[in-house]
Amino acid sequence: MALHTLELDLAASAAKVTLPAPSHTGVTGSSDLEIMLTPAPLSGRVTVKIVTPVTGFDPLWARVMQKFLDETGLYDTAIEINDNNATPAVVLLRLQQALAAAL
Amino acid sequence: MTNDDKRNSWRKRAADTAARKEAAAPLFVKGKEVLAKDTVALLEAVIRPFDIVNIEGNNQKQADFLADCLNKVDRGKIHDLHMVQSAVPLPAHLDLFENGIAKKLDFAFGGPQAGRVAKFIENGKIELGAIHTYLELFGRYFLDLTPRVSLVCAYKADRKGNLYTGFNTEDTPAIVEATKFREGIVIAQVNEIVDELPRVDIPGDWVDAVIQSPKPFFIEPLFTRDPALVTDSQILLAMLCLKGIYAEYGVTSMNHGIGFLTSAIELILPTYGLELGLKGKCCTHMILNPHPTMIPAIEEGWVDTIHCFGGELGMEDYVASRPDIFFVGPDGSLRSNRAFAQTAGHYAIDMFIGGTLQIDKYGNSSTATAGRVAGFGGAPNMGCDAKGRRHPTDAWLKCGQELPSLERDIGNIPRGKRLVVQGVETFGEGRKPVFVEELDAWKLAKSANLPIPPVMIYGDDLTHIVTEDGIAYLNRCKDMEARMAAIRAVAGFTEIGLAAKPEETRALREAGIVKTPADLGVDPNRATRDLLAAKSMRDLVTWSGGLYNPPARFRNW
Amino acid sequence: MTNWTDLQSCRFIEASARERAIGLVDEGSFTELAGPFDRVTSPHLKLLGDAVAFDDGIVTGVGQIGRTPVFVISQEGRFIGGSVGEIGGAKMVNTIKLAIDFHDELVAKFADLDEEEKPMVVISFETGGVRLHEANAGLLAHAEVMDQLQKARGKVPVIALIGSKVGAFGGMGFVAAATDVIIMSEFGRLGLTGPEVIEQEMGKEEFDASDRALVFRTTGGRHKYIMGDANFLVENSIAAFREQVSALTGLSIEAFEEMRRIGSSAKVKAQLRAVALAAQMQPGDATEVWSHAGNTDAWGLIDLPLSDFLARVERLSV
Repeated sequence: MALHTLELDLAASAAKVTLPAPSHTGVTGSSDLEIMLTPAPLSGRVTVKIVTPVTGFDPLWARVMQKFLDETGLYDTAIEINDNNATPAVVLLRLQQALAAAL
Repeated sequence: MTNDDKRNSWRKRAADTAARKEAAAPLFVKGKEVLAKDTVALLEAVIRPFDIVNIEGNNQKQADFLADCLNKVDRGKIHDLHMVQSAVPLPAHLDLFENGIAKKLDFAFGGPQAGRVAKFIENGKIELGAIHTYLELFGRYFLDLTPRVSLVCAYKADRKGNLYTGFNTEDTPAIVEATKFREGIVIAQVNEIVDELPRVDIPGDWVDAVIQSPKPFFIEPLFTRDPALVTDSQILLAMLCLKGIYAEYGVTSMNHGIGFLTSAIELILPTYGLELGLKGKCCTHMILNPHPTMIPAIEEGWVDTIHCFGGELGMEDYVASRPDIFFVGPDGSLRSNRAFAQTAGHYAIDMFIGGTLQIDKYGNSSTATAGRVAGFGGAPNMGCDAKGRRHPTDAWLKCGQELPSLERDIGNIPRGKRLVVQGVETFGEGRKPVFVEELDAWKLAKSANLPIPPVMIYGDDLTHIVTEDGIAYLNRCKDMEARMAAIRAVAGFTEIGLAAKPEETRALREAGIVKTPADLGVDPNRATRDLLAAKSMRDLVTWSGGLYNPPARFRNW
Repeated sequence: MTNWTDLQSCRFIEASARERAIGLVDEGSFTELAGPFDRVTSPHLKLLGDAVAFDDGIVTGVGQIGRTPVFVISQEGRFIGGSVGEIGGAKMVNTIKLAIDFHDELVAKFADLDEEEKPMVVISFETGGVRLHEANAGLLAHAEVMDQLQKARGKVPVIALIGSKVGAFGGMGFVAAATDVIIMSEFGRLGLTGPEVIEQEMGKEEFDASDRALVFRTTGGRHKYIMGDANFLVENSIAAFREQVSALTGLSIEAFEEMRRIGSSAKVKAQLRAVALAAQMQPGDATEVWSHAGNTDAWGLIDLPLSDFLARVERLSV
């Protein structure tokens, strides 16, 4: 019943970009999510913390996040997500929009 | 035997009809008018057990009063009817089977009653004939499923029985023609009986009785999509469609399915579409209900003509004021006609684009889910390659010429192919995967004893799949193996998509068989609601110059 | 979209709570307080397994319009319908309290302060009221907000903005009614009991909540403006709301008191006359009251472009 928290430690296939400052985008609406991107000294890695009411999709989250990192090359960043049942398509789109807004 | 006897033995239907009408004679008050209170008696007089009966109703207008009355007949007198009708969306349509008045059903679309249809088939209350497309069913009205009695609906009638079906003519001409010209009986419920009609859509001598119903017939604004509900991810798919398909093939004629994706496409024509230089080159001829979300593109001069299956509530004045675009009668109001629009949709258009709930690894798609026998209405007729088509267009020819199997099948003769496009997110509501190993249609076929799984669009007709991962150009695949690989490449993180091999996907991208958003030059960061030409219902009203009058449930002012 | 200039033309109804907060005050002047980076999420939702938000669906902060310090509260309808729970409620309460304290400090320090330099509070409502998941804390927060409004009265003007998707309903309908000025767009809705609840309690025959045209004729901006429940009706853009707020800066506190719909014996008497009128008319539809107010083509008012509506409409006086 309690909220599900998923923590991941990932790295982009090729590190390319990191952030100048923390950034927050989006709203935890129905089928949507909010994203916090914080620059952090993580030796090139990226930590991800996802808080969501839905369980059973941990491998899917890991794949979606890995794809986002591989596509963008984001590194040294802590990603925090409050999710409310967004589809992978929406998650990826929001991540891309969040990164564009943060850069 | 005399000649007279011989002649009469060939006129049994006429004699039977005359006898039935004779029994109903006392119920007529003036000309062909029967009072609403006598409707049940009228039906009991003219319908016999085992008759083939049609109740008019599609996904828009409904002969709801006559459907209710048919449920009230004495089932000792009337039973085991064989219902043939486009759609069974009203509870009353299924109550007929529950009440033992009807037994057999041939139809095309189940709509909200799809769950009951499945249950009734399972428990034997419905003996299912078949699930058709609209055109297929209309065809059988003229073949082996001609209605003995048809219960239709119209806006207005006069006492000679002339009908004005106007804006929502829809299925009426097809039903009445089949019924009347095989000596059948046509009964119409109308909102109003008047002395003078705006125009005659059905001649009075094809109609036996008219009844002013106590309430106007029910009509569903099924094709109205509130722009406020269009999401960014739908806009992204819409951008991919415009750039990767509309622009790529120069598609001029098409039908848009009912979902939000096609609404998003319609709403970004005047913005993103304009930017791509598509105005005048795409979407000039459409077979489409009067979608309110088309208003901005129409106002911006994108469209030459639109022919409609049916009307759409609230669009009456707008359509009447744009007679250069829509098909309007001498009285100035739209005449829709499902049979003709479906004919155009099947043979004449270059593209069908819509959505679905599931696509299997071969590219077969279906909206059928376990426990719901819904049917597909008109989608399969438009979502297929019409093999009888003979006229070429650039888009049709290009799509066909890309088909590697063409030479194997017909040698060096040029031939085109209809573009059949499905736009979906890889995961739907509740993260249910859209790409699946096996369609739920198989399970449904088993549970509802259907002879074949109900497929909306067969894989060999599907030419393009659009997802957030990009576009699979299935028409460019040389064989089933290549087709399956292309499907995997755009199937995201579904189990099907996870089977994609990176090197295979890379090769498909190099061959132009798969294109990602980046390959197409579509920037996801631009996929926001700012791209919509209209963001709200009120915007649509403003675009229409106040001519669009949205139904009450879509108003927020 | 957080570019201030772009935000100005942004539809108010499309704008997120944060976009409204940033766009309503002067460019670059908004400082968020207890914002998402503080990560104060609802402890109750967490226990119930429901999604949380870093700002608990309410944006609070301070900015300025011209020379006026403006304390802003902005509710996010997309997060659980803009419902007010413990965290969001506390943010509202303390923002108003900050404004009052700031006012008192300023007045104590500077004797010659003019009206324009005194703070005001702007609340952009988008809420159905109490968050049922944390109803006790949410109700308490409502009471505390009401308490702060009373404390602000006569010192710090409080302006309600209603033009977002959810409207202002439930307990927050009360709160909105208790502010000094209400600015609405035609897409705003203000009421106590939400349409669905009325239908559930009184039946579909009495009130069909799916008939949104009816809902807006009964609770929407145009109706509230005719009835005098809203002081101003503006276009659906952040700029339009900002300009209306801006036009109010510098007014005396007496002028704000005058704009209240409730809060004096004269105003209570006027409200009672309106109730008596309703009892006498027994209107079947809001348009009957619009006609009574002197609008000959009441139904015609609904679809008029806003500027024509404002030029033509007669407002009810009782």
